[in-house]
Amino acid sequence: MATDSKPLRLSGSQPFTQQPGVFIMLGERTNVAGSPKFAKLIKEGKYEEAVSVARQQVENGANVIDICMDEGMIDGVAAMSRYLQLLGSEPEVAKVPFMVDSSKWEVIEAGLKCLQGKGIVNSISLKEGEDKFRANAKTVLKYGAAVVVMAFDEDGQAATYEDKIRICKRAYDILVDEVGFPAEDIIFDPNILTVATGMEEHNNYAVDFTNATRWIKANLPHAKVSGGVSNISFSFRGNNKVREAMHSAFLFHAIGAGMDMGIVNAGMLELYEEIDPELKVLVEDVLLNRRANATERLVDFGEALKAAGTAGSEVVEKKAEEWRNGTVEARLSHALVRGIDTYIDQDTEEARAKLGRPLLVIEGPLMDGMGVVGDLFGAGKMFLPQVVKSARVMKKAVAYLFPFMEAEKAEMASRGIVMRAQGKIVLATVKGDVHDIGKNIVGVVLACNNYEVIDMGVMVPAEKILARAKEVKADIIGLSGLITPSLDEMVHVAREMERQQFNIPLLIGGATTSRAHTAIKIAPHYSQPVVHVTDASRAVPVTTNLLSEDNRAQFVADHLAEYEAVRKAHLAPKQPMVPIATARERRTPITWRGEDIAVPDAYGVRVFDNYPLEELREYIDWSPFFHTWGLKGIYPRILEDERQGDEARKLFVDAKLMLDRMIAEKPITARGVYGFFPANAIGDDVTLYTDATRTAELDRLYFLRQQANREGKEPCRSLADFIAPVETGLHDTIGAFAVTTGLGLKEFCETFKADHDDYSAIMAEALADRLAEAFAEALHKRVRDAWGYGCNEGLTIDEIIREKYRGIRPAPGYPACPDHTEKAAIWRLLDVENNTGIQITESYAMWPGSSVSGIYFAHPESRFFSLGKIDRDQVADYTERKGWPLAEAERWLGPNLNYDPEA
Amino acid sequence: MQNQICGGALSLPEPPPEGHPQRTVPNAIRYHLIFAMISNSPTLRYTATDHPLYRVMQQRIAIIDGAMGTTIRSYGMTEANMRGDRFKNADKDLLNNGDLFSLTQPAMICDIHRRFLDAGADIIETNTFSATGIAQSEFFVEDPREHGGRKDPDFYAGILENSFLNDLAWEINEQSARQCRQLADRFSNETGRQRFVAGSIGPLTVSLSNSPDADDPGFRVVTFDQVLKAYKHQVRALIAGGSDTLIVETIFDSLNAKAALVAIREVYDEDGLTAKGTELPIMISAAVGLGGETMISAQTVEAFWNAVAHVRPISVGLNCSIGPDLMYPFLAELSQKADVAISAYPNAGLPNPLSPTGFDLEPEDMGRFLGGFAQDGLINIAGGCCGNTPDHIAAIARALEHKQPRPLTAPAVAA
Repeated sequence: MATDSKPLRLSGSQPFTQQPGVFIMLGERTNVAGSPKFAKLIKEGKYEEAVSVARQQVENGANVIDICMDEGMIDGVAAMSRYLQLLGSEPEVAKVPFMVDSSKWEVIEAGLKCLQGKGIVNSISLKEGEDKFRANAKTVLKYGAAVVVMAFDEDGQAATYEDKIRICKRAYDILVDEVGFPAEDIIFDPNILTVATGMEEHNNYAVDFTNATRWIKANLPHAKVSGGVSNISFSFRGNNKVREAMHSAFLFHAIGAGMDMGIVNAGMLELYEEIDPELKVLVEDVLLNRRANATERLVDFGEALKAAGTAGSEVVEKKAEEWRNGTVEARLSHALVRGIDTYIDQDTEEARAKLGRPLLVIEGPLMDGMGVVGDLFGAGKMFLPQVVKSARVMKKAVAYLFPFMEAEKAEMASRGIVMRAQGKIVLATVKGDVHDIGKNIVGVVLACNNYEVIDMGVMVPAEKILARAKEVKADIIGLSGLITPSLDEMVHVAREMERQQFNIPLLIGGATTSRAHTAIKIAPHYSQPVVHVTDASRAVPVTTNLLSEDNRAQFVADHLAEYEAVRKAHLAPKQPMVPIATARERRTPITWRGEDIAVPDAYGVRVFDNYPLEELREYIDWSPFFHTWGLKGIYPRILEDERQGDEARKLFVDAKLMLDRMIAEKPITARGVYGFFPANAIGDDVTLYTDATRTAELDRLYFLRQQANREGKEPCRSLADFIAPVETGLHDTIGAFAVTTGLGLKEFCETFKADHDDYSAIMAEALADRLAEAFAEALHKRVRDAWGYGCNEGLTIDEIIREKYRGIRPAPGYPACPDHTEKAAIWRLLDVENNTGIQITESYAMWPGSSVSGIYFAHPESRFFSLGKIDRDQVADYTERKGWPLAEAERWLGPNLNYDPEA
Repeated sequence: MQNQICGGALSLPEPPPEGHPQRTVPNAIRYHLIFAMISNSPTLRYTATDHPLYRVMQQRIAIIDGAMGTTIRSYGMTEANMRGDRFKNADKDLLNNGDLFSLTQPAMICDIHRRFLDAGADIIETNTFSATGIAQSEFFVEDPREHGGRKDPDFYAGILENSFLNDLAWEINEQSARQCRQLADRFSNETGRQRFVAGSIGPLTVSLSNSPDADDPGFRVVTFDQVLKAYKHQVRALIAGGSDTLIVETIFDSLNAKAALVAIREVYDEDGLTAKGTELPIMISAAVGLGGETMISAQTVEAFWNAVAHVRPISVGLNCSIGPDLMYPFLAELSQKADVAISAYPNAGLPNPLSPTGFDLEPEDMGRFLGGFAQDGLINIAGGCCGNTPDHIAAIARALEHKQPRPLTAPAVAA
């Protein structure tokens, strides 16, 4: 999914906002066509039981439930109204949005009249012509719902790729241009049709759907794609094993192409990773239409399964029981991953007997199992409903252990032993941010000092942090964040703490945080100490002082005085600025000459999968690695440092061992993409053309210009200065890239965490970060070669690491171009998410964390600089250029503003 | 009698909605999204950006008036004053049918409107909170429950055909809008500052989301189409009387509000306002409880916004219910989520039987609280609901005089 796509927003009694990269599951069991059991309940008027079907679906994690009453024997209008009204009175169900599903328009209207929230209409189409289509769309808009549009027109259902995209485009244009329908509320269903029917013309149906999906996502801005998945496998009715494998593999590919949601029976979905490898190949041969006799081969396999009796449900059960033969740890893990609670009490008891203490069961096999679940979900191999099921099983196991833990505590207390931690600290990376290496280190350090650390992980909203802090009676809250937008979120948390009358200190840490920001922007919102912690080594002294009865008063007094001084200093006059018009006149002086313009070997996008890690190793810049561990100095001198040398050498040995292991076992995958685009500067924008004819604009990058009144003749630079202005007539080129070495990292780290080896886990993360930077360096070398001028630059690796080469690769969010949101353009241009798997969060952080992206400039004069402060006039101009609201621009550019937007 | 909240009538079957139809209109116009769609969309042609109320909100926080019901009480009206000659033979007590005063005591009602305008209100609300056949039936039609019957869609089918009720509802709406129109125009001329009339559309005394039948959670006393029809009638009358905007307020059941919003759309389409581009801007305001959910249908603020955003209102906000302090976090959330102007006209705190207005907060208190809202950049329209007298509104207007409105951001432009 393109990250600049507006998310689908719906509601029941609770809001629902589509999250990037998360597939929306539409529950299908309240669909009479999908569930004979449900149809029977409705026909017999057993509405109460029918409501419990909906409740189960919500409990199992369906995001939206699809409700369909289209059946000959059912009065659709009456049944739809009655059922929705019953659901409306069922709070646990009413919280989710409903999808009103019918081929009869009067049933849909009846349904819309029962929805207090914003639901989805399924569906409308051009089947009966444009007038009817328009009228129906207007009605949907009048009631306020999203809409599924079937790829149907007057001539029937679209089966081929060409028909699908033609009809979807036509429908989109009518909806957006004529009806005024919000584009983000349009959900196309480009028809999932049955493959492996024996008819040759059906063989490409899955491919056609996937390609149409990709086309829609790329060409119809903000539109969503959905489909009824079970259709794909209709020819294998009766053979659930093959069907489940087909559904799972199909979804894997369709989601990769951008499919947002689907009608899916979550309970009948095999994990992609767990599909029998032989079956997976056969299934994918069919779905991807990649060999002539694919259908025959899958049919044969299916028949063999049937003959062997493994296709039907009985055997599934039989197979299901096999896992019971494993060790108790394996069984608990299996139960958690598969969400099976049948034996959970029994297995938990067995583990408790075996391990001796209830806490060991939780910290051992149960956490391990949940770790696997988290990894599979993080890797997109498990779906939310399955995770919810796992969590429920976990909860049951913990509930079983709870009385034992209480008894243990009471028993210890009776013997006069009070288990007391130094203090409780809740740590979290704030909402919108995914970076947590630093926070993890802080956590480990604190834990080693006998603090009880409750680490809430990444992307944690304020209300959750505070609720948890209250619940566990935390002594301190620590917030972490790396990217600029996290600063605002930290202010928000501080405000909320004040409002909720917290009386515990707040610690602030992370790369973009600073003592000044903490003192000026965060501390004033909270009346308790708000302390910036520079690095992990500072955490323990700060927490110890804050929690010490003897030292606290003095520490707090010193701290407040220090921050007050910082605030006073900040009130000193702002920097003098030059007007933006003047700054533009003082742009970087470049004499534009044809011979300075590099011409790439080809335009377009190149993808690198499984880039060799051994090659990346060469490009590692080790100095930042030591900084990560709190050793400040330059490599290799740091190894000989008098004070830090011993530690540094030990660390370096461990790092090299770990790196050897990572290269040998390949737990992580390096993936990258770059592209060249014909480009010219227009003012401070750079326009990118669709092709070398330079007639049509493909996209646009927006840059900012230095405005601080720099003494003398120092130019006011902008990155746009390094691309030939359109009026020079020169045919310039700009490049962009994104690389990651974080794929698989989380799983790899978990293996260490499972052994309580946090040191190795952090080591692996720190190295992955270095490898990502190294990848960026290695790729840049290739890019310079492709640009031609790199071929004879004759630099050593060391010189390359010190960036002695021509050209730069600044990253959005860094000093020369601090606007993080420009990453969206890179994602569009390179289709980064599909090509590499790197996603952008709502705060424009990259996920996985060990990723780097940026823009290439080749001009010999191009160089890094720091934008510094900018003034209102430029912000207003930038706002206009980007088509942004002013407040939006001020939010993203906050640290660069030379004025207080709130003043 | 004191209703603590505008919606109070719902929980008590017989008593009428009472005076409480608060007045206070939020205002705020935000055109915004519309702007993005204008170029192509014939159905959304009204350019709210051009609306004078929008222009006011660009400059400053617009002030909406205070409570009608609680202010009426200070005039010491009796049942006989309420009835006048016209309703002297009515079967039921009418004193708490505050909307009816616009017909029987227009001088008093106009005096209240005038005092709010004097206090600095940019927007006054019509006295029509309960001016639908459905709400008026509470005062004029025998309750079937007195004889073992029940209120159900059959009962309301009769109400909707009741020409006395329909004509009365029309008359209240049209008359009240006219009265407000006249006063607003007079003040506009005299003070050189344009004043606006917001046609008030209340939540009704019945819920489309709840069943009053413990044995049948699927039962509804009234149908969506019935509510829709009653609201369409009201909308037409409010427009006929000269309203500048329509305000769907004190929403405690979002499905009721949806019916009102559908009614407005249908009237615009059917009566040619859409085609002519003369649609009145729509204002929307919900009443939330202590947990931040609509009081009857338990919908959270963000969910509610998602459900109504499609009408591209000029403003959305919260009113009535809990006082300003308790409203704060929910208003802050709405202000963060919604990309239109934000209105807040809370009750004057919680009900306090010892206070002359029936509510806790004095004028200066309200000024301080709403000043705080403004300070934090949350609002574009401010005023008061139950318990807010003209003195309260004057204090609020003073407190907000030099405060910056929440920035009215440009429409989100598709990337």
